[in-house]
Amino acid sequence: MRVSVPCASLRLLLLTGVALCPAAALAQAVDYQALQETVGEPVTTSVTGKPQRASELPASTVVITRTDIARSPARDVPGLLKTYAGVDVNRWTAGQSDVAVRGGVQTYNARLLVLVDGRQVYLDHYGMTDWNLLGVQLEEIQQIELVRGPANALFGFNAASGVVNIITRRVGDAPSAAATAELGNHGIGKLAGSLTLPITPMIGLRMAGAHAREDERNVSSRLAQPLRVFDVASDQISGDVTAVFDGLEAVIGGGHAVNRQVEYLPSQLLSNQHYLSSNVHGSVARDTSWGGVTLNGYINWLNAKYGAGTIANANDALVLKNRIIVTQASSLVSLDSTNMLRLGVEYRNNRLVSAFQFAERIAYDVVSGNAMLDLHPDDRVSLTVAGRLDQLWLHQSGMISQPAYDDPRDFDRAFTRFSFNAAVLVHTGKQGLLRINGGRGYQLPSLATFGSRLPIATPSPIPVFVAGSPRLSPVLMWSGEMSYSHALGATRLEATAFVTRTENAIASPGDGLQTELFLSPQPSLVARFRATGNYTTYGTELSASGAIGSLTWRGNYTWIHTDEQLTALTLPIPYALSPRSTTPVHKANLTLGYDAGRLSIAGVARYTSATRQFAFSSTPQLLLYHVDDALALDARVGFRLTPALEAFVAGENLSLANGAAVSPIPADRRVRGGLRLAF
Amino acid sequence: MLAVGPIALGCAAPLAAELNVPIAVRVVSFVQPSPTGLITVAILYDPGDAASEAEAASIERAVGSGLSVGRSVVRAHRVPVSTMGSLSGYRVAFVTAGLRTEQGSIAIAANRASVLTISSDRACVQTGRCVVGVTASPKVQITVNRAAARAANIRFGSAFLMLVKEI
Repeated sequence: MRVSVPCASLRLLLLTGVALCPAAALAQAVDYQALQETVGEPVTTSVTGKPQRASELPASTVVITRTDIARSPARDVPGLLKTYAGVDVNRWTAGQSDVAVRGGVQTYNARLLVLVDGRQVYLDHYGMTDWNLLGVQLEEIQQIELVRGPANALFGFNAASGVVNIITRRVGDAPSAAATAELGNHGIGKLAGSLTLPITPMIGLRMAGAHAREDERNVSSRLAQPLRVFDVASDQISGDVTAVFDGLEAVIGGGHAVNRQVEYLPSQLLSNQHYLSSNVHGSVARDTSWGGVTLNGYINWLNAKYGAGTIANANDALVLKNRIIVTQASSLVSLDSTNMLRLGVEYRNNRLVSAFQFAERIAYDVVSGNAMLDLHPDDRVSLTVAGRLDQLWLHQSGMISQPAYDDPRDFDRAFTRFSFNAAVLVHTGKQGLLRINGGRGYQLPSLATFGSRLPIATPSPIPVFVAGSPRLSPVLMWSGEMSYSHALGATRLEATAFVTRTENAIASPGDGLQTELFLSPQPSLVARFRATGNYTTYGTELSASGAIGSLTWRGNYTWIHTDEQLTALTLPIPYALSPRSTTPVHKANLTLGYDAGRLSIAGVARYTSATRQFAFSSTPQLLLYHVDDALALDARVGFRLTPALEAFVAGENLSLANGAAVSPIPADRRVRGGLRLAF
Repeated sequence: MLAVGPIALGCAAPLAAELNVPIAVRVVSFVQPSPTGLITVAILYDPGDAASEAEAASIERAVGSGLSVGRSVVRAHRVPVSTMGSLSGYRVAFVTAGLRTEQGSIAIAANRASVLTISSDRACVQTGRCVVGVTASPKVQITVNRAAARAANIRFGSAFLMLVKEI
């Protein structure tokens, strides 16, 4: 992939960092493993930016630890998330997964921000996450943190329904390595590994890489599909160097990943995709006597090639080149022994280059400021408030595609949005905790929904284009929830009630093709990405976990109801968005784990109620397909041959439930076995 | 050569009133600048006090031949409080229960030698005579006395301080 970085952007990146660099002070970055071992439970910074115990967070949060990952039958991050309350994982195809939090299931879910060590891996070109392109291996993950509900006040646009922050392991004082080699049915093959190496007491090196492949599921002939369907393949490599000087910790690194898979686009057409992504990143963390300062910057490049058969002139590859530059600075300030203030600023430049949009380049700049106040009036009560102001400037430049369906001046646009979060925690006795929290956040229209211009294949004698709109506004989300958790010895119980309101949800045109007719220079029809209405999701989550001797257990149940005021679903369906149809009403998960010396056994039972999911039929017509309710069984058995080497077999959907993937393409059973090395 | 074991929570689980040694040793790793090499810990106890003696013995067993934490190794020796002297040669002192009458003199010695004092006795921390208090039931609670830390010239990393209770 060709990489070009304008000098002006680099200068800005450097200048921003230098201007915010504080006076020298002593430092310590967050060592999650050490802190977890000290307080006896996982520690996260994903909710407020400051380290907090998992049991005392001002937001609904899941922390999946390294131990959980090693025992799980899951083989990717969505697979790990799917067993928690309030989380929907749709495996549309063998390669494409979407994770939705508390409803709003749709392909290319733009509402969940995904980060690796604070660096965005969410892809801005279409507003989605390719979970096979994260550039991080399960073997190198310290913990996975999921914050349910809007988290925009800390993370900005697109953390509208939640955030997944994947934290990788730090380089320790001794070399460590983890590797997995596995083979399975359906062509499953994977080789993945990570290595941490302290070069000197002050400098550490970390490297990770993987190659993986598997066959695509059988796609029914009743569904529209490309002439040839890709199998899933990915290659990833990443590395970084950490240096500690006088207590200041600096990290610099990068990565490259390639992924090929078939996906359901937002339009619900199946399309073969080929993604290449690269990144460079750096960060500096310092402690001070009054708190700490962190500077962070990264550049992500994406080259996305969308498959033949999805556009009219199929000989032209639909290539989208996205580049994002982000610089962030934040400071934690201890106001006194218990109260904390966090201040942050951020600049990001986001650019999409393609021949299939209004102009050669569609871009925006965002400048943000945020603040968080964490107050503890007494030992029983804490109050957290956070706010963030984002100012966005939209631009276009380069050659304008003709005929133009918008006025170029429509792209010279700016807007400001304020998002916030607030929470009150009340300790009720030594073991109980009441949490009331809520917030307002925004989902930004993706660069494609602002400016795309795609010719599509239709029987119409007049050319038809799907186009974005520079006039789209960010999708507004309100949320509120109340939760009570209680510990009874080793057993922990939690009950949560929540409501989430989404306003002006953006959807891709379906085959109703509500079009605009343009007559000059030749007649053409344009179907737009559009704000199609509002919906409200409310529900409850009940969770319990505990341990009895060597047996660990975790169970949860989620009920979700959706009221929607969106476009009608009568044929022809104009827009492929109906969270009420696509989100399961009932979900339940039970996870059991048993360790006996060298043997470890884990099993997961997952129930999902029936749904209807969008897909184009072979006719082609956009339809809602019934997906059966499903009871899926996953399991993993591991046997340690030596303290460092384990042989394992694992399987997903052993019960062969068609609806386990919650996709129009039925799920199959995938079984694999292999060796896992860890020292 | 003595074998050194890594810290694992849950090993050698202490009684409720006794110091949780794995956590106490972990606390040492958050001192700034980060300690390296061998750290010798004094287990301060009163030979005439059964509870103090029992706790000292329990701590000694938990530390065993040594515990590795970060880039350092912790080893511990029992030191009768009557013979602690200036605590020279020690960087950390585990203050057992039953030493309330001696806590004042322990604090004076620790401040002079810049020794980090850690105890399961909450009162020792609340009165500013110990720097860190560790209790593990019903869940781990770590208390840091700011004034005592300042007096002993002990500084902790901010990430650690954000997770503990400072008084």
